[in-house]
Amino acid sequence: MPNETLVTGLFSDERRAASAIRALRAKNRWPIRNVHTPIPSHKIAEAMSVKKGRVGWCTLAGGILGFFFGFALAVFTASRWRLVVGGKPLIVLAPFFITGFEFAILFAVFGNILGLVGLGRLPDYGGLIHHDPHCTGDRFGVVVSCPGNQRESLAAFFRDQGAEVAARPLFNLES
Amino acid sequence: MVSPEGTSMGELTFAKVDDIVLDTLGPPERGYWLAVALLFCGILIGAACWVYQVFAGIGVAGMNIPVAWGTYRVNFLFWIGIAFSGTLISAILRLVRSDWRTPVARAAETMTVFAVCTAGLFPFIQLGRVWLAFYLLPFPNERTLWPNFRSPLMFDLLAVGTYLMVSSLFWYTGMLPDLATVRDRAAGVRKKIFSLISLGWTGSHTHWRHATRVYLLVAALAIPLVISVHGGVSRDFALAIVPGWHPMLFDPCFMAGAILSGLAMVLILTIPLRRLFHCESLIPRQVLENVIRAVAVIGLIMGFFYAREFFISGYGRNPMAAKMLRWRLFGDYRDEFFIMMFCNVMLPLLFFSKRVRTRLPWVMVIAICVDIGMWFDRFVVLVMGAGRGFLPHAWGLFSPTRVEMGITFGGFCLFFFLYLLFAKHLPSISMTEMKETLHQGGPHAE
Repeated sequence: MPNETLVTGLFSDERRAASAIRALRAKNRWPIRNVHTPIPSHKIAEAMSVKKGRVGWCTLAGGILGFFFGFALAVFTASRWRLVVGGKPLIVLAPFFITGFEFAILFAVFGNILGLVGLGRLPDYGGLIHHDPHCTGDRFGVVVSCPGNQRESLAAFFRDQGAEVAARPLFNLES
Repeated sequence: MVSPEGTSMGELTFAKVDDIVLDTLGPPERGYWLAVALLFCGILIGAACWVYQVFAGIGVAGMNIPVAWGTYRVNFLFWIGIAFSGTLISAILRLVRSDWRTPVARAAETMTVFAVCTAGLFPFIQLGRVWLAFYLLPFPNERTLWPNFRSPLMFDLLAVGTYLMVSSLFWYTGMLPDLATVRDRAAGVRKKIFSLISLGWTGSHTHWRHATRVYLLVAALAIPLVISVHGGVSRDFALAIVPGWHPMLFDPCFMAGAILSGLAMVLILTIPLRRLFHCESLIPRQVLENVIRAVAVIGLIMGFFYAREFFISGYGRNPMAAKMLRWRLFGDYRDEFFIMMFCNVMLPLLFFSKRVRTRLPWVMVIAICVDIGMWFDRFVVLVMGAGRGFLPHAWGLFSPTRVEMGITFGGFCLFFFLYLLFAKHLPSISMTEMKETLHQGGPHAE
């Protein structure tokens, strides 16, 4: 799209932001690029039809991997020195289960964080150029792209919906 | 929710929350740097004692046979206990959606991280020859011997190491949105630093979609972990066939003690923070009262555990248990024992009185006494257990040397030093969670 610009509508209220998102999606004229909010918002997630995050699968995979790693580590180290002491077996379930459990929790949390980094695309320093600082404070920002010549009509739409239109960021994607 | 200072939670807005919390990050006064400098001197005293111990040998500590675990192990147990409560407040109360935890959750999470860091130093200090610490890692030595994963000490190492990493990640992921808020209002070098550590967080719907789930899942995973950490610590004792260490109820008793000391520490950290940073409207008295009530109830639970132990020792037909009870009541460590009973069971009962509960200086004094009592609880369990085996050849006494006292003092200074640095440089109240709480309560925008 030549000469495309981004316009951010800043809402003081999540209900209005959600209503504007629904209206924009119904119109299907200007694509919503992003929504920035100071708190997690179910209403906005519903309006954006955001599906449940899949980070839980990363956690589960990490947990399973961790359990088997911890258990295998305990078995491996015990079997390196095959000296039976006090008639006790070399490979025992109860204490090795504890090792497996600790590694399961550790790797599950690592999987979780890797899931956030991968699926949430963090770190995202590039995203800061389209970000309005008010959106980490008290405003709900809806970032919409439009051709340069429609900028005023998009701004008017936002004003009708009860938003302030950010003087910044208004970037030309081609610049 | 109305604070006695006259600011109601309903009067707060998102912008006011940001303003109050960001004000705490303003240029510190001279008194702050004085406190930081004094605590740093305390750390230097502890470090000097440790360096002396490294050069002179572990014999400069009072540990002996049979009391081979002395003050260092007591400190380790005490600080791990302090850490326990942070996870309780931040993770368990989050999962059960108790909103009153919000104003003190960040303080509790930070307390957890710094308490585990402090606790983690003591096993290394106790090693004496600290340069051989790598023997604990799964790494074969020159005789191809690997660490023994059947030992409760290895459970302990794994659990504490995991707990340090998990609690640090929990703390950091929860703080990401707040770091971004600071970044967006900062300038110069501070802006650059916060830009880097906030990982480019913008609060986009993609970020929230995954971050809220991650935070919830880490909270859920932290609960079994923290129970296993304290279970692991208590099994260091309970798996040994020593008269004072073998009771089957060591796990819940240790956990109750940990919660008691941790909640008291939350009060010790939060009451001055609230006053010095003028956060009375964000941390209303009602929140503190909930913590105070929890201390009172956990004090009763501790009383139950102590009473149960006396009953079983006195009523049972185990002569060693009866002797142990007599030694506790009338023996060499009776003073420590009575300090423990008075501070952990008697003093928290005062919190049932509204007159005491609503006077914060009294609350502060009692909270400090509770933590002193819990330090002595660990001392009594450890030293009295190790000092009285089944046969007289395994009987002995322990008293801490100046080196141990110096290192203990340094440990306390390190914890408060780290906390003081945190309180002035990072948001000590979760702005995001405060806003969420306000949002659920009504309109926020000006």
